[in-house]
Amino acid sequence: MLRTVSLQRRNNVSVIGDGPATFFFAHGFGCDQNMWRFLAPEYAKRYRVVLFDLVGGGASDLSAYDRDKYDSLHGYARDIVELVDEFGKGPTVFVGHSVSAMIGTLANVAAPEKFAAQVMIGPSPCYINDGDYIGGFTRADIDSLLHTLESNFLGWSSTMAPAIMGAPEQPELGVELTNSFCRTDPEIAKQFARVTFLSDVRTELAALAAPTLLLQSTEDLIAPVTVGEYMHRVLPRSTLTIVDNVGHCPHLSSPSACANAIDAFLVREQL
Amino acid sequence: MRSTHSSFENSSNPLPDVEIDLDTLPCGLLRTLDDGTICRANRTFTRWVSLTPELLVGRRFQELLTMGGKIFHHTHWAPLLRMQGSISEVKLEVVAGGEVIPMVINAIRHDDGAGTIVHDIAAYVARDRDRYEQELLRSRARLEGLIAELEQMHEASNDRAAFAEQMMGIVSHDLRNPLNAIQLGADLLAVQGLDEPQQRVVHRIASSTKRAAALIDDLLDFTSARVGSGISVAIAPIQLHELIAEGLDELRMVYPNRTLVHRRAGTSETNGDARRLVQLVGNLISNAVVYGAPDTPITVTTSVQGISSITAHNHGSKIPDALRASMFDPMTRGTEAGAPRSVGLGLFIVREIARAHGGAATVTSSDEGTSFRIEWPARAER
Repeated sequence: MLRTVSLQRRNNVSVIGDGPATFFFAHGFGCDQNMWRFLAPEYAKRYRVVLFDLVGGGASDLSAYDRDKYDSLHGYARDIVELVDEFGKGPTVFVGHSVSAMIGTLANVAAPEKFAAQVMIGPSPCYINDGDYIGGFTRADIDSLLHTLESNFLGWSSTMAPAIMGAPEQPELGVELTNSFCRTDPEIAKQFARVTFLSDVRTELAALAAPTLLLQSTEDLIAPVTVGEYMHRVLPRSTLTIVDNVGHCPHLSSPSACANAIDAFLVREQL
Repeated sequence: MRSTHSSFENSSNPLPDVEIDLDTLPCGLLRTLDDGTICRANRTFTRWVSLTPELLVGRRFQELLTMGGKIFHHTHWAPLLRMQGSISEVKLEVVAGGEVIPMVINAIRHDDGAGTIVHDIAAYVARDRDRYEQELLRSRARLEGLIAELEQMHEASNDRAAFAEQMMGIVSHDLRNPLNAIQLGADLLAVQGLDEPQQRVVHRIASSTKRAAALIDDLLDFTSARVGSGISVAIAPIQLHELIAEGLDELRMVYPNRTLVHRRAGTSETNGDARRLVQLVGNLISNAVVYGAPDTPITVTTSVQGISSITAHNHGSKIPDALRASMFDPMTRGTEAGAPRSVGLGLFIVREIARAHGGAATVTSSDEGTSFRIEWPARAER
C-alpha cells in the first residue's frame, strides 16, 4: 500500500476505467500525460488505463529526480517496470509516444514477462545520423534545440512557470493546463533533451519479442518515415501503420486514425 | 491584408471605427492552416524575412525556423496550441536568407468561421532582447561555473585540513611514546650515582626531552586551533594569584638564571582553565627569556578587578610596529638572534587561550620594554 502511494506520487499516476487488460500511456519529450487527453478516454471505456508523468515532467515528484539515474533511458525504464508491477492487471499493453517508445522497449527487454504488446507512436531508436543510418539530426541540431529551450525557460526560476504557458483566449483551459502541461524545470528539460536526442537504442531492438505496432506519421520531423521503416525491418514482430499526419503528435492531431490503427492491431494480435 | 475594426464599438472608450492596414502594423502577422502551411502574411513579416508573399505562402511556418526551433515546434508548440488553443511569448529564431532573426511569437488556434482550423500568429523582432538574454545566460553559466569551482576548492581545502589535523595528531601521539622512554631512562640514570659530568649530560637529556614534549603539545594545540574545533578550555572557579604563583615557581626551576617577579592586584577569585592559564604564562615567560634583555627581571602581574588579567613585562628594545601587528600570528618570530624555543606557536597559543576564555591578548612596546597582556571577563564562560 505504501509502495502504491509512493509510486503514485513519484509518477503522478492516475488509473481510469477497467477491463481485461491494462493500457499504460507514456508521454514523450516536452509534455506530460495530458497528451493522451483524446485517446485515453476511448480506451478507458474498454480497458484499465494507467496515465502517468515521467519523473521530471508534468506533476511528477521533482524531488525524485536523480540526475544520475535519469542520465540514461534505462533509469526511466526501471520506473516503468515498477509501475507495471504495481498498477498492471491482466496483460499489459504499453503505449509510448516518441522517446517513451524506447523507454518501453528497454523496460520490455528487461522484463519481457510483464508486457503483452507495445504500441509506439513516432518512435526513433536513434536521432543522430550514424553512417548509413539516417536518424535525421546532427549533434549541432541538438545543441540548437538546447539553445531554443534555454531561450524559452528564462522566466522559470523567478516565477516557477515558463512563459509558454499562457492561454489568454481560453482561460478556463489555461489555468488547468498551465499548472502541469509542458511544465518542466529548465535544467531537467535540458538533461532530458540531451538524454532523449543522444540516445541510441538500436542494438536493443532485436531483443524486443513482444508484438509491436509502429504508428508512423507521413510527415514527422522528429521521427521520419525512413526511421519507422528501419524499426519495422529490425524489430522481430512489428506492424508498421502509416498515419496521414503532419507533426510529431498524431494522437493529438489525428486521434481517431491512431485509435483505428491500435484497434486493428489488437484484433490481429488477439488481445 | 485589411481589417475593419468594430469590435470595441460598445465599450466606453471606443477606438475610432477606421480601417486598419494590417500590412503596415509594426508586427509580423501570419495565418496558417492547422499543419502550419502559411495562407497569408502581412508586409511587415515578409519584409523581415526578405521574401515576397508569393514565396512565403504555401510554405510551412515551422520550415522558417532553426533546427532547434523546428524540434521545439514539434514537441512543445504544436501540442500546446492544440491543447490550449493559444500560446504566448515563445521565442524562436527565424532563418531568413542566411540570417537568424530572433522573434517573440504569440499564436491562437481557432475556426476561421468557414469550418477551417487556422492559426493566427503575431511576431516581433527581438534582437536587443535576445542579445541581453544571451548575456544573462552567459553570466549565469559563468557564475554557476565559478560556484562549482569554489565548492570544489572548498571541499579540497577541507580535505587537506582534515588530513593535516589527523597527520599532526598521529605524529604527535607517536612521538610521545619514544620521548617518554627517553625521559624514563634519564630519570633512572639520574639515581645511579653518576659523576658530575655524567650528571650534567643526563640533566641535559631530561630538559631537552621536556622541551620536545612541550613542542608536541604546542603543535597539537596549534593544529586544533587552526584546522580543528579550536583550543578547548575547561572553565572553573580558580584563585588566580595562587595559581600563577605556583606556575612561576616551576618556571624558576626551568630558568634558574632569570629573576621572575610576581605582582598581584585586586582579588584573586575568578574563572578560568587552570592548566591553560599556567601554559599561557609559560609561553609568555619563554618568549620574554628569548627576546627580552638578559640579566633583567621579568615581571608577571595578575589582577582581578572587574576583569581578570595577566601581564608579562620584560625589558628590552622596542618591538617595531610592523612586527607588533602580527606577533600573535602563527609562525611569526622575533628577528633578534637567540635560541628560539619553538617554531613560533607560543604567542599564537596565548591568543587562542585568551579567546577561548572570551577574552583577548594585546602587546604594548616602548623603550622601557614590552608587555603582553591577556584579559578576560571575570566570569568567563564559554
